[in-house]
Amino acid sequence: MSGVWVFLENKDGKIATGSREAISAARTVADALGQPLTGLVLGQNVSGVADAAFDLGVDAVLGADDATLAQFRVEAAGPLVTKLAQAHNPSVILASASSRGRDLAAWVAADLEVGLVADGVDVAVDGDKVKVTRPVYAGKLLSDVFATSSTQVITLRNRAFPQAEPTGKSGSATWVETAVAEDAIPTKIVGFEGKEGTVSLTDASIIVSGGRGVGGPEGFAPVKELADTLGAALGASRAAVDAGWIPYEHQVGQTGKVVSPDLYIAAGISGAIQHQAGMRTSKVIVAINKDADAPIFKLAQYGIVGDLFKVLPALTAEFKKRL
Amino acid sequence: MKVVVSIKQTPSTTAVLVVDNSGKVSWDDPGGKPNVLNPWDEYTVEEGVRLKENHGATDVIALTVGSAESQEALKTCLAMGCTEAILVSDPALQGLDTLGTAKTLAAAIKKAGDVQVAIFGRQAIDGDTGQTPVQVARKLGWTPLTFVSAIKAIGGGKITVERLLDDGKETVTASLPVVINTVKEINEPRYPSLMGIRKASRAEIPVWSAADLGLADGAGSSNVDWSKVYGIPPRGGSVQMIDGDSVEAQAKTLVDKLFEEKVI
Repeated sequence: MSGVWVFLENKDGKIATGSREAISAARTVADALGQPLTGLVLGQNVSGVADAAFDLGVDAVLGADDATLAQFRVEAAGPLVTKLAQAHNPSVILASASSRGRDLAAWVAADLEVGLVADGVDVAVDGDKVKVTRPVYAGKLLSDVFATSSTQVITLRNRAFPQAEPTGKSGSATWVETAVAEDAIPTKIVGFEGKEGTVSLTDASIIVSGGRGVGGPEGFAPVKELADTLGAALGASRAAVDAGWIPYEHQVGQTGKVVSPDLYIAAGISGAIQHQAGMRTSKVIVAINKDADAPIFKLAQYGIVGDLFKVLPALTAEFKKRL
Repeated sequence: MKVVVSIKQTPSTTAVLVVDNSGKVSWDDPGGKPNVLNPWDEYTVEEGVRLKENHGATDVIALTVGSAESQEALKTCLAMGCTEAILVSDPALQGLDTLGTAKTLAAAIKKAGDVQVAIFGRQAIDGDTGQTPVQVARKLGWTPLTFVSAIKAIGGGKITVERLLDDGKETVTASLPVVINTVKEINEPRYPSLMGIRKASRAEIPVWSAADLGLADGAGSSNVDWSKVYGIPPRGGSVQMIDGDSVEAQAKTLVDKLFEEKVI
């Protein structure tokens, strides 16, 4: 029972941001356990991805290069990773808690009949087990969780760990055959429409959000202008989404996205407990609100009591001067 | 075509949670209902009912594993239009991890007979793992379709769905039966009708035991120890209010601070 594995999601020859974060977390775990770190590279024409993985500090790469893996499908990747794990018995398998990473982790843990811990925001080794800290009750509480099985499957939340840095290391990958032929894969991807040009909330290092205080759909204009000036993602409270002022994909909170940017600017958001659950792990929180008693000020480092329609344009103008 | 919607009763989103020294979590929601149908599952139920209304599903069975109190959440499902509800409840099935829950649900879906689609919510707002549907699919040997934002077509043993992934929308076709997990974009859940609520309140919900599911010895020992639950440490420090003679002066002070914090 040995070795720490990390699943490396890749697209167009690049390792996904979340997987680069997973490498740094996995490196910590592997070093503390005194075990080698292996990157799992699945895809088509991915020899460059394997090279990039070595550069980011993995000790070995286990890969499969095949047309059936060109676009990630859990029905192709799941059986392959399960088969590899049965052959090599890794002690830990880590993946980013991305849509694809979650599917793979759940599949592999089910087939190996081992413990699965989702959405880790911190990892620490305790004996031969990995203690994973994860939010529960939609971010209102934390929990320290152990998978007690011989193999521990763990997914990691975006932006909870630093990205692995290039090391200049190189190595030679081990390539294996796929586990499932195309005919035996029950799903066919018939279309894909990429999201271009927008900053996703969960990846953003800066988020500017508006709430009930913006007053209407047009009230988001100054919020968006500041976000655009900062290259930030645009967020919103549930009140603004429910009022139909902005689409749901912008919602931050318990029934929206859980985010953890370096800077979170909340404009016209009172800071209901459900909103706090989605953003309280932000590094620096700035609150702008007319009501000096709004709960958001209890969470913020910096606050301005004032009219967001005056404060936001002033901030935008000031940033434009300085950036 | 039979459809199962798998749901969970959870604390309400406005519930205030308290953890005692032993890590036991309790909650209350003064002025509201402390326990509700998991908010993400409202979309699940709505989609199940729409499969009946628009795609000829004959049965829409709401299913949950939990304590007797979970009947309340099942009644909400009936009031929204589910044709049947089943509660799986047994002391032998307490403290299950995701995999144990998945095995239990898979056994119940099998027992329900001839189910073509099992629908789940994105995650439960208490445990928050969101990993059960894929594991249920594995235990049934069905195809998992996660993050589904639209059922485009269903019939002739096939289903086409749109999936909302981190980097875009994927359209995928699979053979039935499937396990689906939904995202909020899939629909706008209806409110239960008054007549639905009245009818549901009188419903006798069958309770299946572990033995009924062939799980008399439980669903396997848990592979996850999550005994330690605690409150989030408060954020350090207190708020620094930025004052100034004008909003421009306030903006300048704040921007200075943010550059000092190195978050820009």
